[in-house]
Amino acid sequence: MARTEIRVGGLGGQGIILCGSIIGKAAAIYSGRHAALIQAFGPEARGSACSAQVIVSDEAIGYPYVRKPDILVLLSQDAFVQFAPQLKPDGLVLYENELVQPEGKLPATARSLGIPATRFAEELGRRLVLNIVMAGFFTGATNLLSIDAVEKAVIDSVPKGTENLNLKALMKGYEYGRGLATAT
Amino acid sequence: MDRDGFPRIAKLKDGSSVEISLAGAADGPALLDFYRSLGEEDRLVLTDDVTTPGWLARFLAKLELGAATSLVARANGCICGEATLYRNLHGWSRHVGEIRLSVASDRRGQGLGYALAAGVVKLAIDLGLEKMVAYFVESQSAARKTFERLGFRKEAELARQVTDIRGAKRDLFVYANDVSHIWAAMESLVGDYQPHEDQ
Repeated sequence: MARTEIRVGGLGGQGIILCGSIIGKAAAIYSGRHAALIQAFGPEARGSACSAQVIVSDEAIGYPYVRKPDILVLLSQDAFVQFAPQLKPDGLVLYENELVQPEGKLPATARSLGIPATRFAEELGRRLVLNIVMAGFFTGATNLLSIDAVEKAVIDSVPKGTENLNLKALMKGYEYGRGLATAT
Repeated sequence: MDRDGFPRIAKLKDGSSVEISLAGAADGPALLDFYRSLGEEDRLVLTDDVTTPGWLARFLAKLELGAATSLVARANGCICGEATLYRNLHGWSRHVGEIRLSVASDRRGQGLGYALAAGVVKLAIDLGLEKMVAYFVESQSAARKTFERLGFRKEAELARQVTDIRGAKRDLFVYANDVSHIWAAMESLVGDYQPHEDQ
């Protein structure tokens, strides 16, 4: 049974839950697999710790919580400090490299890949598509889901009128992730 | 076709077709030809003297920099219309884009201006802009109607603001289209916040 445990962590306002939701939708709705999403956020609308637990599996999911993540997608240093020690020994950390310094705490055999997602999002025109850049980075770096499925999940998830910019953000992250994944 | 959907074919009301594509450096000479072919009446109130190589060099530099994004319409190999989105990449109006539109006189009234303007409005939203403005003089009623169909409304009227190329003073109408609600919806979506029902 292939079960992949993913934790997306960052701060409220970064679109952490939407990023997790897109990964889950791409798996469950557009890839014919199973997925579960658990979301956790602080009491403030902005700036408090926020995380999403996503399970992607080939079989029905009996237990929807992440115990030992295979993949971490991290957008804040606090999230790195909190979740890095939970990573599986051969796990993968994908992080925003202008917001996170992956120092220590990672298992020796774990891999980590960084992306300047905030800068990419700002260059595309809107900082708030940072989470979509990260969803694309996840897709390109992990090969867990097809880019077609994630594209459909993005179109299905974002407000009308914002689809094109979000898809550009997705492709920016995807291509960067593909480049790093094939280089390592 | 790229992700913005260009080039695309636009059907005009008279049954003819034009190809609308994103302008690049290779379109420079044809653009200059297009603007030089416009009659004086059409160039009366243009912001720049678009018939000079100097204008073209500045325009292409803006395209390269991303400070301008332009669509050109072609029929029979010649440019017959052009719409450009200008934006400030820095500063307090970086959320605002200005749209300028020109259509060859023999193509007017066929929906080409609307097709070009609609394409540029979409590009502006895709660039994350929140507001678009367009400037008109009082005689440009057809162009104003075209922009009104795209959601633009008159925000200001400045008396004797424009000196046309014959030296006459004209009133300037400032039209704007505020699309910030589109991005407000996205902002809300990435809020990562779910208030309790009793709040």
